[in-house]
Amino acid sequence: MRLFSTRRGLVALFGFLLIWVAVLYYGILPAAALLQDAAHSGILEFLFPRLGLQAWENWPAAELAVYWVVTLYLLPFFALIASADQTASDRSRGTLRYLVLRCSRIEIFLGRFLGQCIIMFLVVAATLATVLVVVAFYNPDKLAATVAKVPLIVLNLELVLAPYVALMALVSVLAKSARQATLYAFILWITVSLLVGYLQAKFGPLALLDWALPGSQISQLLRLTNWETLNFAAIPIVHTLIFLGIGAILMRQKDL
Amino acid sequence: MNPIECQGLTKRYGSTLALDNLTLSLPAGEPIALIGPNGAGKTTLLSVLCGFIRPSNGEVSILGERPGSAGLTGRLSALPQDALLDPRLSVGRQLRFFARLQGMGAAGAKKEVERVLQLVDLSDSMHTKPADLSHGMRKRIAIAQALLGSPELVLLDEPTAGIDPPNAKMIRDLVREQSSRTTFIVSSHNLDELERLCGSVVYLEKGRLISAGPLSDDADDEYITLRMGAVNESEFINAANMLPGVSDVSKTTGGDFLIKTQDDMATSAALMQLLIDKNWRYRQLSRGKSLEERLYGDQT
Repeated sequence: MRLFSTRRGLVALFGFLLIWVAVLYYGILPAAALLQDAAHSGILEFLFPRLGLQAWENWPAAELAVYWVVTLYLLPFFALIASADQTASDRSRGTLRYLVLRCSRIEIFLGRFLGQCIIMFLVVAATLATVLVVVAFYNPDKLAATVAKVPLIVLNLELVLAPYVALMALVSVLAKSARQATLYAFILWITVSLLVGYLQAKFGPLALLDWALPGSQISQLLRLTNWETLNFAAIPIVHTLIFLGIGAILMRQKDL
Repeated sequence: MNPIECQGLTKRYGSTLALDNLTLSLPAGEPIALIGPNGAGKTTLLSVLCGFIRPSNGEVSILGERPGSAGLTGRLSALPQDALLDPRLSVGRQLRFFARLQGMGAAGAKKEVERVLQLVDLSDSMHTKPADLSHGMRKRIAIAQALLGSPELVLLDEPTAGIDPPNAKMIRDLVREQSSRTTFIVSSHNLDELERLCGSVVYLEKGRLISAGPLSDDADDEYITLRMGAVNESEFINAANMLPGVSDVSKTTGGDFLIKTQDDMATSAALMQLLIDKNWRYRQLSRGKSLEERLYGDQT
């Protein structure tokens, strides 16, 4: 609710809207036009498989193909920044004490996580709506097929974003501010990345370690355009449950 | 069973012992004063009772429940020390949210917020953000927060610290008015304030319980505390020592005269006559020792 009812929240939303308009206007639209123009030139067939984007032509509209790629990489960063302050500033300010007198720490922790997931859902829905408008304007004959893909995209993006939000829920328990929570998340990210690199260098490729970081399934998702994307759903769900489990334990134990 | 029961309560912060094997049973009824020097463990004790921090050892029962349990929602409330409301949302909005968390419906919550804001005389602040209020007003809002839903037990951690006398008086009056239906535990350094407000006192020092009991006791019959205007100290002590029943007259740490007597009523009457005869002005006359004298009188 704070996002929609405070000046700071509205400014953040407006800022994201501006960025998204820029992404749409200077990124998705020209890229979609490029895809359509170069579809038969052979360049894309040569280039895209090397970028892991060979499935782009399976999407009903080029705009949707570009949206899929852009949001899979862009929205996780937005999720990290937007959900950084789930409990951190409330704890340092003492506001959490007022809440703890009225509900349990786990309710607060999970409530904030779910609230952020709802915000991410709204962000996905709003950005997807802009793409549908573009498709309706430039390729109205492809609109119905594009709309049919909406549940697939929304569900997959929500699954992709959930572990990032859960990670921020965890670090927010340890941090005193949103900035510190973001810093902790990046430190954790780099540490795990280095650790994974070291272990794989020492013991050879270990399949399990390939999935250690949130978003490790994104490169696979880029190749898919149908419900087979859910074959990778277990990865973000497991990440989310691990982060929420650790976060909940810390939330219960930490002094307020 | 008393509303607050602590058994062997201990809280450690690293090597520092904030609460040291505290065993305590506090009854419902008149406000209870929680006093002690800085670092005595007052805030730590209140924080444990509220479930803000977990004890290292020991058992705590509050209104028959464990601290932080769902069974305490709406029954226990508190004014935590230095806790602030969210500066970005209006006072009314936050209090309504708290009331909703306590299980009230939207209409009930709105009505309850209006009631508690009226109690602290801040009905006009419903749509104001906390950052736009003075320190005293924010404190009164925090007390209004604690009174939402008329809880059985309210813990107030330094409710009048750092605020001006009119706001402090308003808070004292409010606690006095509400104490017929709510038990208050009030932590403060202001002993005069606690003496006027509370019926019993818990004294902590270095995390240990030094004493707990009613403010008035049988020894009140043996002492009179007199606060004088300008008077020659030795002349007064000599004159008071001559009064019937008086066995000793001394100056307290707070600047009052402490008169030991065998019959406080007869001595009080004689004392008044002495003041009239000598044309000495007094400021306050009270039975028994002041709380300050009782706690710290022997240390000087």
